[in-house]
Amino acid sequence: MKEYKAILLLICALTASGAAAGMAQQPPMQPATGSTPPPPPPPPYTPPAKGAPPAVDTPAQRDALAAWEARAIKKSEDDRAAHNAAVTPAYNFHYGKGNPYTPGNIQVVGKGFIQPGAFPTAEYCGVCHQEAYSQWRQALHSNAFRTPFYRTSVNLLIRDKTRGIAFARFCDSCHNPIGVLAGALTEDSKVDRARFDADGLTCMTCHSVLKLDSTNGNAGVEMGVPAVIVDEKGNRIPGQVSFDQILRHPERHSQAVMRDLMHTPEFCAACHKANLPAPLNDYKFIRAFTAYDEWQQSKFSQRNPLTFYTADFTTCQGCHMKRNPISLPDYGAKNGTLVSHRWLAGNTAVPFYYGFTEQLDKTIAFLRAGNFLNVDIFGLKKADSDQLIAPLGSTAYGLAPNDTVEAYVVVQNKNIGHSLIPEVRDLYEAWVEFTVKDANGKEIYHSGFLKPDGMLDPRAHSFTNRPVTNEGAFVDNHKVWTIHSVAYDNTVPAGRSVLVRYQFRMPAEATGAVTVTAKVNYRHLRQSYLNNIFGKDHPAYPVVEIASRSRVLKVGENNPEAADPSDNADWMRWNNLGIALLDQLQYQESINAFTEVIKVRPQYADAYTNVGLTNIVWEKYDSARTAIRKALSIDPNSARALYYDGLLQRRAGNTEQEIADFSKVVEMFPQSRDARRELGITYYQQNNNTAAMEQFEALQKIDPDDLTAHYNLSILYRRMGKPEEAKEQQAMFVDKKVDPGAPTYGLNFLRAHPEISTESIPWHMHSDIDNKAGGPQNGK
Amino acid sequence: MENSSMARKGRNLKWLVQCAALAAGLLALPASAHATNNCPWINEATVSGLLGADATGTATGEGAGQPGVCTFVAQREGATHTLRLAVEIVPDPHARVGELAHLCASGTAVLPAIGNEAVVCENDKKGALGERVVGRVRDQVFNITIASTQKHDPLLDRSALKTRIAIAAEQVSGNLF
Repeated sequence: MKEYKAILLLICALTASGAAAGMAQQPPMQPATGSTPPPPPPPPYTPPAKGAPPAVDTPAQRDALAAWEARAIKKSEDDRAAHNAAVTPAYNFHYGKGNPYTPGNIQVVGKGFIQPGAFPTAEYCGVCHQEAYSQWRQALHSNAFRTPFYRTSVNLLIRDKTRGIAFARFCDSCHNPIGVLAGALTEDSKVDRARFDADGLTCMTCHSVLKLDSTNGNAGVEMGVPAVIVDEKGNRIPGQVSFDQILRHPERHSQAVMRDLMHTPEFCAACHKANLPAPLNDYKFIRAFTAYDEWQQSKFSQRNPLTFYTADFTTCQGCHMKRNPISLPDYGAKNGTLVSHRWLAGNTAVPFYYGFTEQLDKTIAFLRAGNFLNVDIFGLKKADSDQLIAPLGSTAYGLAPNDTVEAYVVVQNKNIGHSLIPEVRDLYEAWVEFTVKDANGKEIYHSGFLKPDGMLDPRAHSFTNRPVTNEGAFVDNHKVWTIHSVAYDNTVPAGRSVLVRYQFRMPAEATGAVTVTAKVNYRHLRQSYLNNIFGKDHPAYPVVEIASRSRVLKVGENNPEAADPSDNADWMRWNNLGIALLDQLQYQESINAFTEVIKVRPQYADAYTNVGLTNIVWEKYDSARTAIRKALSIDPNSARALYYDGLLQRRAGNTEQEIADFSKVVEMFPQSRDARRELGITYYQQNNNTAAMEQFEALQKIDPDDLTAHYNLSILYRRMGKPEEAKEQQAMFVDKKVDPGAPTYGLNFLRAHPEISTESIPWHMHSDIDNKAGGPQNGK
Repeated sequence: MENSSMARKGRNLKWLVQCAALAAGLLALPASAHATNNCPWINEATVSGLLGADATGTATGEGAGQPGVCTFVAQREGATHTLRLAVEIVPDPHARVGELAHLCASGTAVLPAIGNEAVVCENDKKGALGERVVGRVRDQVFNITIASTQKHDPLLDRSALKTRIAIAAEQVSGNLF
């Protein structure tokens, strides 16, 4: 009898708490637009003096908090149980009961789905953090889910006949984590979506992350039950509390919502790194984007000894969350400043669509202000001459009427901590617009123009990629699960440069002059993707000129001229050309350029290292040794030179020196994936299994997708009697290694698109001049 | 003893039946409140939140020149709250938005950042309060109304109707993209 009554009471309790949960899930009922009226002033608060001890509670206050805590925990648990009772029966556990959020990697503390009402609303946070709230409301994070740009893409996945909404958990784990964790992503959803859809990544998603799951991305985080305060023992009290509790104990509020991990780039990596896993694409692991890895390999991480340049350590937050003066009250501000919750980056489309003019203006200013790119009209070559006239501005030269001229434009990714373009580069568009105009402003040559329909000149030099399906069709609409290969990828990695060549003809007049201009433009998003979203009748989306440079070329004599303040020094201009030529497989020309650097800066060790590196790639090892030795004679502790010396010592069979070189690099740069990899290989070749394993395991912590680590560890674990671990590594290697058939998909695309196929060739030229065969000289 | 035991068993059985009936009734509540969603553009739970009470919905698919229609009804304190939406694909969607906007009782205002374009207007009828949003996503035109049968509804006053139809419009247009 008692059991029956207990069941009855339990049912009644569940029903009652379900009603409570339902109340807790009432939507905020504020349309999430930029025109939301400003909130009333925050409750009065005087911050404690610096170094002052926390307030001491009276016994009565302690008892009150304890009672509150007990009620809050019970309510949170009851609401969650009721939510699960409502949601679970109809939920599509496509990947099994134990994997409710797969293919996303997100997890939440506790049992089952979590009710949306468990997340304190942004409006609640915004009472005391008005500056942060107002910035966040216009930022990408708050609009991560609701924008047409995202919805069009994820809706395609939801409507896909062989997939459906369960697969969208992959995307929404980052774009709408509350929806995923609440169990809303199922065909027969029982969840009120108005509660969270418009808030995307709300305050208490980021501020509830307790743990990071390595750096695999795909929302690899463990979220706690949201709490805005802890008790005196540090236990999290779930849900919203009264503001006086927080204002009395700001240190406890801080303990609940701030964690050291939030300041790390690994925190951003959770969503700014993604792969397409086999459960999503029924194919295999494909790396989608790696903004985090790109940062890690950049000079700003100070983790990679092989960068061409160096810089102060800067995290993602260092660029995208700069501290600015506040204009609205915010109790999180320090000395009148707050770290930006706008996360300014490149997305102009979202603020343009929503009419967030402040966000749009600041985004454009950000893109232009960072000295991110350097555009250099570096040199000229006349037709039928191999002599490079360079660097322009520092050298005198003559041009004759009707000269056919080839301009060398070097674009340096100078201060971006990731590639140009980063992340979903199939959607964004950055390109070089190159114009040649005569003295009357008449256009002689124009590459990279926008056509009347908004489409980009297909022969423009675009810093994009072309993902393709297994039939060689361009994946124009971001159906990422159909991507099987990439026809080409013309993005510029952090710190590197690209050479873009243009050919044109000088005027026939003896006194003619032309103005040559090279710009790097950026548009968020590609026109054809915008057309996918809106149809063709949409307004033109902003095109932002990020960097540009002009030069006047005269028929007759051209004398040296003063440099622009934004110009690089000549040695760096040569260095950038050398880097670009190396990447375009023009080894002799690259060495020539680096040699020019040596002429200007004979004590610059890296210049010799660059010559050595190019010779290694060119397989001219003796020349490489000479250059690397010279670099080490100037700077014996150059980790970069030591690394390449290690490679050369291996080739010469000097194992002891090889180990010494790589070990020293690892000692100086313990997070160097390249040095760890090479040292691991060296130990492996020496049959030093333990030492090799140590290196490969360390490498995997830096880059969990490193193929060499997977491959070698699978063998090493087997040797060491760890068959299960070996099997796991082998499986990951097989899943992640490149499908040998995949390149043919890219070739099929290129064959079908001759208008842009030359873009896949590293060494190509842009020209409208007809050659003898009657066609333009693209791909010369 | 036997009788007593049987009587006890009988009482237990009665309790069991009562409990089962009560449990079934209680457990059925959420099920009836949020039955299987048939509307492809907004779910019942979301509409329930917007209408302030458990809503039940019906949906008819689009076909043969007829728009797809979803109708949700909720009862609350003597008032009937209704959310109705229709979606159709037309060759000239911009013109169709204009046509439908003429159904408005008063002038329209642009509802920014909803679909390709959207307008909102008052849609009062016979003493009842209502709002209408007409908009489109590409060539799909949507027409949403939200209404209360009470003119002085404490929950769905004019301001609340405006706010809630904007949320509904964002939900619907988001699913049409």
